Amino acid sequence: MSGKFAKFSPFHVDPELIEGTFSLQPEDFDRADEDEKAAMEQKRKSVSYWRDAWRRFRSNTVSMVALGVFIACLLFAFAGPALIPYDYADQYRSSQKLGPFEYSEGEAVARSIAGSVDGFYATALQPGSLTSLAKGDYVIYHGGKTYAFTLDRAMENAILMLQTKAEDPLFIVSESKIQQDGSWSDSKAISYTDTPADGAVEIKLSRNVFPHAFGTDSFGRDLMARTMYGTRVSIIIGIMAALIVLIIGATYGAISGLSGGAVDFVMMRIVELIYSIPEVLVVLLLQVVLKDPLRAWFDSSNSALVQSLSALGAGIISIFITFALLYWVTMARIVRGQVLQLKQQEYVTAATALGAGNGRIIRRHLLPNCVGSVVITTCLQIPSAIFLESFLSFLGLGVSAPMASLGSLCSDALETITLYPYRLLLPSIVLTIVILSLNLIGDGLRDSLDPRLKK
Amino acid sequence: MAVYVIKRIVVSIMTLLLIMCITFLLMNAIPGSPFLTEKSTPEMIERANAKYGLDKPLYVQLFNYVKNYARGDLGTSLKMQEGTSVSTILFGQGKFELSIKLGVISLLLAVIVGIPLGCIAAYNRGKWIDGFLRVMTTVGVAVPTFVLAGLLLIGFAVNLHWLPTKSNSLPDFKSYVMPVISLSFYYTCYVAKLTRTSMLDAINQDYIRTARAKGVKTRMLILKHALRNSLIPVITYLGPVMAGIITGSFVVESTFSIPGLGKYFVQSVLNRDYPVIMATTVILSALVIFMNLVVDIAYKIVDPRITLTGKED
Repeated sequence: MSGKFAKFSPFHVDPELIEGTFSLQPEDFDRADEDEKAAMEQKRKSVSYWRDAWRRFRSNTVSMVALGVFIACLLFAFAGPALIPYDYADQYRSSQKLGPFEYSEGEAVARSIAGSVDGFYATALQPGSLTSLAKGDYVIYHGGKTYAFTLDRAMENAILMLQTKAEDPLFIVSESKIQQDGSWSDSKAISYTDTPADGAVEIKLSRNVFPHAFGTDSFGRDLMARTMYGTRVSIIIGIMAALIVLIIGATYGAISGLSGGAVDFVMMRIVELIYSIPEVLVVLLLQVVLKDPLRAWFDSSNSALVQSLSALGAGIISIFITFALLYWVTMARIVRGQVLQLKQQEYVTAATALGAGNGRIIRRHLLPNCVGSVVITTCLQIPSAIFLESFLSFLGLGVSAPMASLGSLCSDALETITLYPYRLLLPSIVLTIVILSLNLIGDGLRDSLDPRLKK
Repeated sequence: MAVYVIKRIVVSIMTLLLIMCITFLLMNAIPGSPFLTEKSTPEMIERANAKYGLDKPLYVQLFNYVKNYARGDLGTSLKMQEGTSVSTILFGQGKFELSIKLGVISLLLAVIVGIPLGCIAAYNRGKWIDGFLRVMTTVGVAVPTFVLAGLLLIGFAVNLHWLPTKSNSLPDFKSYVMPVISLSFYYTCYVAKLTRTSMLDAINQDYIRTARAKGVKTRMLILKHALRNSLIPVITYLGPVMAGIITGSFVVESTFSIPGLGKYFVQSVLNRDYPVIMATTVILSALVIFMNLVVDIAYKIVDPRITLTGKED
């Protein structure tokens, strides 16, 4: 720049000033020493996209509360069943149609007598009559008397009453024969010991009876266990359906957006067509169409995959298929829009100019930039899937008994709404809380992953 | 405009034909015959198939459907009320009118209540009323129709006895209250949310500031300048709402024992009564497609900047 004529130029610029700004000296190409290297080091770790998003999400009180509530729902659905002694499918015959925190006659007797006993073995005097006592029995010891009773199906309504001393006989008393004061009539004697003998059955001990917090249904099934199980089914359906939508929709949208031209045109016309089909009608038809072939398929095949699918049941699988067929269109549109917008960005042009292939551009530039809106759409898809599933189950087309989902529980409850309103109320509240918390989490994700959209 | 409408109608008819094809294929994909029962012999099934033309090749059956529909003939029921014409089953005793009445009233309520609520929230942004409406609408879009219907039933019919548990054929005002509220609440909340968001967008625009500077009264400002521009997302949403309200009415009808169309759709599917399935699907699809058309034309009226003939996207 500062050639030899510069000295004579009336616009002479002092070379001292120029130096270091845009003239390069040979020493500029020396290796940097340690001090210079240290000066270039970043003082603070750069904040990654996700860390930044998480920071924004954390500062959003509503979303954090919603996240907490949703985690509580997850615990209720997945850890809950392990904590309560009832199973969603078991019918406890002596405790039908109980209200919340109500106890059956036998359970009430047991509760009225607080206390404990260490455990003992009983042998039936009438062979066979007591062997079924091993499961789900309760024995309560109090004031020189031990009360044992069973909730087992084979021994329905039977209540055992024991004397304190080991030599005394053990009695089986029908539940209805128990008097208010704890005395009984019409009993059959059996013997028991505190050491195991041949053919003896160990009787499980329980100090108190676990309450039916949500009551029981007309078949004597514990509604809290069923609600927990139903919540689990609903959440699994929601997440699986969202994943299916994510995979199909994102792939379809990305292909359509990247290809452009005629391919894009045809693919988008297909999307528009699926949009204009009233989905619920097709869903209803599909449900009916798919049910029998799926059952046949489950019965015919022995592979592990099919077996695990059949554990879910035909109703749920057809919901998944429905999602795979119809519900990916929104996701496809969003991803296509993003890809169309992103592929015209300068950095993509720059990458192409530098010789990057399509694969690299997709992986390095397009996917990371789409991920925000994809995550948001996926998250908001979960509650809408739960909505749809509950709607189908409500119409009697989703999961089939004894399986339960929140929708089918509400549907079952509706028949007896005038007598047992809580049966509808409790699963409804859980369903609403799950959907509400997921919606709020989705809103929070939108604000934190894509701040441009924030209103 | 006229060209556009004609074009859209042609596309709608094609979509409808395609929906007929899909429905037909799905119906026939169910294995076994609709006449198969424990008592039926192969000869009986064959005779029934011949009687209703189910022994003909599939494309002939499909063509017959299209031909008859073009003439306004919906065929006769195979099973539910054997031999009765489908139009009697669906339109007789005012079932169709019941469903439509319920749907239209709910749709109107969603619009008439939802839009003002959204305006109020946007206008009072940050005040307690905005907060209240925000909570209400957020919860409102998380409550499924049948849950709300059930809760209303428990509260107002079972406990308070203010309203009848069974609405039947909607004889009086009281019987309308719960079905209409449960059907429209979700959409009211959604419309209110949408209106609030787009209203806030509009309020921050330059032309609103200009209008305010010129001394336009606040009420006029909101009603005339801001509202009109914030209605587009709301109108876009109304197409899907129609579809949702129709299918949602299945649930409401069964909850409140209203003898509407919804029950027949579900029953016809479960009974595999082909002509009834086809008729309900086509009628409801036609309604939805028609609503989408109306929505697109409404755009033009609300926002003259939108060109209908231009390419979408």
